[in-house]
Amino acid sequence: MRAARPLRRHWRSLVPHLVLWVGVVVALFPFYWSVVMATNTTRDIFSTPPKLVPGTHLLENLQNVFARIDFWGALGNTALVAVVTTGAVLTLDSLAAFAFSKFEFPGRRALFGLLLLLFMLPAQLSLIPQFIIMRELGFVGQLQALVLPAAANAFGVFWMRQYMSTSVPDEVLDAARMDGCGFFRQWWHVALPTTRPGLAFLAIFTFVAAWNDYVWPLIVLVNPNVQTLQTSLAQLNVSFGTDYSMVMAGALLAVIPIMVAFLFLSRWFVADGVAGALK
Amino acid sequence: MNVSRRSFLLTSGLLGLAGTGALSACGSGGSGGSGDGKELAFWIWAGAISEKVVDDVAASVASSVKITKSIIGGDFKQRLTTTLSSGQSVPDITGIKGEDMPSFLTQAGAFLDLNELGAKDIASSFAAAKYAAATTADGKQIGLPIDLGPTATYYREDAWAKAGLPTDPTAAGQLVATWDGWFQAAKTVKAATGATSVRNTTDVFAAALAQQPETFVTKAGAWAGDGTAVKKAWDLAVQSHTDGVSAGIYDSTGYNQALAASSIVGHVGPAWFGLDIASGAPDTSGKWRVTGTPGGPANIGGSFLALTTACRNPQAAFDYIKTLLTPENAAKSFTDASVFPATTAAYALPALTAGQDFYGGQATIEVFGPAAQALPTVYDDPNNAAIAAPYYTELSNVEGGKDPAAAWTDAVAAAKQVADRAGVK
Amino acid sequence: MYLAIAPFFVLFGVFVLIPVCFSVWLSFQKYSVLGGIGASEFVGLRQFEFLVQDATFRRALFNTLVIWVLGTFPMLAMALVLAALINNVTRLKAFYRLAFFLPNVTSIVAVTLFFGALFSEQFGLVNQLLEAVGLTGVPWLSDPWAMKVVVAVLITWQWCGYNAILYLAGMQAIPGDVYEAAQLDGAGPVRAFFSITVPLLRPVILFTTVISTITTLQTFTEPQVLFGSNTAVNPNSGGPGQGALTMVLYFYQQAFNNNDYGYGAAIALGVFAVVLVFVVINFRLARAGEDS
Repeated sequence: MRAARPLRRHWRSLVPHLVLWVGVVVALFPFYWSVVMATNTTRDIFSTPPKLVPGTHLLENLQNVFARIDFWGALGNTALVAVVTTGAVLTLDSLAAFAFSKFEFPGRRALFGLLLLLFMLPAQLSLIPQFIIMRELGFVGQLQALVLPAAANAFGVFWMRQYMSTSVPDEVLDAARMDGCGFFRQWWHVALPTTRPGLAFLAIFTFVAAWNDYVWPLIVLVNPNVQTLQTSLAQLNVSFGTDYSMVMAGALLAVIPIMVAFLFLSRWFVADGVAGALK
Repeated sequence: MNVSRRSFLLTSGLLGLAGTGALSACGSGGSGGSGDGKELAFWIWAGAISEKVVDDVAASVASSVKITKSIIGGDFKQRLTTTLSSGQSVPDITGIKGEDMPSFLTQAGAFLDLNELGAKDIASSFAAAKYAAATTADGKQIGLPIDLGPTATYYREDAWAKAGLPTDPTAAGQLVATWDGWFQAAKTVKAATGATSVRNTTDVFAAALAQQPETFVTKAGAWAGDGTAVKKAWDLAVQSHTDGVSAGIYDSTGYNQALAASSIVGHVGPAWFGLDIASGAPDTSGKWRVTGTPGGPANIGGSFLALTTACRNPQAAFDYIKTLLTPENAAKSFTDASVFPATTAAYALPALTAGQDFYGGQATIEVFGPAAQALPTVYDDPNNAAIAAPYYTELSNVEGGKDPAAAWTDAVAAAKQVADRAGVK
Repeated sequence: MYLAIAPFFVLFGVFVLIPVCFSVWLSFQKYSVLGGIGASEFVGLRQFEFLVQDATFRRALFNTLVIWVLGTFPMLAMALVLAALINNVTRLKAFYRLAFFLPNVTSIVAVTLFFGALFSEQFGLVNQLLEAVGLTGVPWLSDPWAMKVVVAVLITWQWCGYNAILYLAGMQAIPGDVYEAAQLDGAGPVRAFFSITVPLLRPVILFTTVISTITTLQTFTEPQVLFGSNTAVNPNSGGPGQGALTMVLYFYQQAFNNNDYGYGAAIALGVFAVVLVFVVINFRLARAGEDS
């Protein structure tokens, strides 16, 4: 009996790991499988029994991708849009959030209520008019059309307001005011430094959303020479969908940059950011 | 945070500025203007025409105009309509799919009248019914036909031999001259080999529908979705299911597999469908034959080339598309991309008259050529595409086990609703 | 002060506020795409009349609700279990969080392409496995029910980890002495899970349910990419038999394929109404749960 006890305890602590490992395999298998497909020929993966290990045809598949879509152009466009959108969202949203969280001004409640109301409306409600507006602005088929609506990110204002109201100390703001700091200097010198984790989370969140956006680029990027990764990938699938290996190679290549970025910045995203969301 | 706040913000700010600059620099050169522009943007989808012909002809005129070809994936019609409605990034030259032509005819104002550029003089070189499909009611010609899809019966010679049916295209053609004859033959093949003769019911529906001069909406603009023409096509489609000669397959990989496994040994469909079979099941090469369509030839698909009003050099653009469609170039498109020419003079050229290996040496032009010349002139209403959708959906439901009569009622009700919305009386 | 919020509100006004009002206006119009605003015609409630009679919209609504049920509740339950397990282990915590979160940052287009290949009917790995163990393959991409299952599986795969991380954060906020007290009372880990963890997590669970409901009821990309290469029919029709036609996909098809902006706007408002109803139901249920 006495000997059995540590064993049982050991067993008990193993069970969660076993279940979690099954989950990990399920979560990661599609990535592995896409690597297998991207490195074999379509014929290989569709043979019976299928090939389950990576092959040697990656380069050939990638060359096919590059021959069919302007991958690097799309990558450049996507990166540009994601970076500019993120920069705009960080600046605009933290400014607005700072005003909402720490200052009283006429119309504050009304404006914030309006924000809240519209935040709950589904995005597709504004797609048609957004398209018409872009047409009037002359931005159809151009990257501005992606950045401008994305920069009006109500989530970011909520998020940063929440973050600032708890983590920007009022005493420091008062002290700054005593020193004659105006609104913008308070924002720059006090609000931003104390909300770095919140900003980082918002940055990654916005970046990933901009990188992966599909519906809007699909509608507004009518110019075949100005595409994003997502729309290019979809085109690759529609036009050459029977060549699975090639399509997978493209898909894999398109997710790698965001994965790498995520792995580097994950501690902000997974731990602090989400914990902050629940404050 | 590893990066200091200052540099973080500075970087994002700078990137933001740089980005805004780069974003505006990305704007494509404006569209519009008539006259003698030196650059022409050409939109087309993969497989519409031989890319080699497109590039070769572009190279031959490179000294006067630069033609930039863009292969557009995805929904071409949506892309083109969106562009036209925005008036931005509009191509100078564009392809138009046959099934989309009726709806673009209603937007004829967005396209140049090719008659003013010399289309009248070459009108007789195209299959008449197809050329007429790009003419507006008031006589404007908004497109030149690239290709067409005269229908035919595809069959596997080995399966027919096994079933004791005549395998020679002429004799086989007599057997399937009517839909009844085709069903008889298909059932015989099924009994002998277990294989089906068509991919799914919607293929039969499409082929039978294409034979009708008017379908869902009459030329007078009246609703006819519950009329005899549509019902006849529907009944034939349902029969292919109840007779067990339809495979009921809707996904392309599944279809390719079934072709390769010889569990589907036939098809009724347009000339261009042969390429789908050949690329889906290359190992069946040599075993296929084609012969006439049950109930007579019809046209499915086939595309056009058009010039938009944003065209920067109409005359050069017209000369370019005219050259793409000469008999010689049309024949090259046929060889390179299995695009069946709408330019009828091409039918006499060796590229088309030669026997084809995929069809065991049969010269398929002997079937498709006469069919192309005998196509019925049909009225295709701009609303047909949207109205047709419920029928296709319900047919696939029938193959999923739904009662055909109930499916018909549902299809008609849903289609009527679409028609009402579009203002069809 | 106003200078600080002005840039945001200008953008917000032009690209969110005005479009929403514009959409409402559009839904009372028959809008001509080429003619522009001047050529549109007021049609009163006709677009909404069409909407309630539209069998295709009802089908899309049904499909969406099925996908919502299949793609939300099992996913959230699994996320809760995963979170509890991660919370209980001491080693590899960070690794698990990372691994489970990875699907969520992958683009839906790429993920859909991965799964499209996995569920391909003849050669897909899933069917090959089924056949290897003696079962028959499932027509994943043409059977109306199987199609919805595939979409739901995709959603589950992509969002399960995300929700697990949210739950985990909530669990870490539960003080340890609550559990210790329960342990002294002789409660095992399973009982502790149901009698402590779940009730204390109620706000987080409500939050995730609402968010999942909103996103799942607006499913678009998965069916659009999965069935977009089926060129036999309209690529935006949601696959064979429209088995995976969702409300937003139908919206997209009507607005940007058929260029029927007026009807498209009416559908968008219909989608909004449906989402609103289900979010309200979520809150009601949560409140009822609190009272009992």
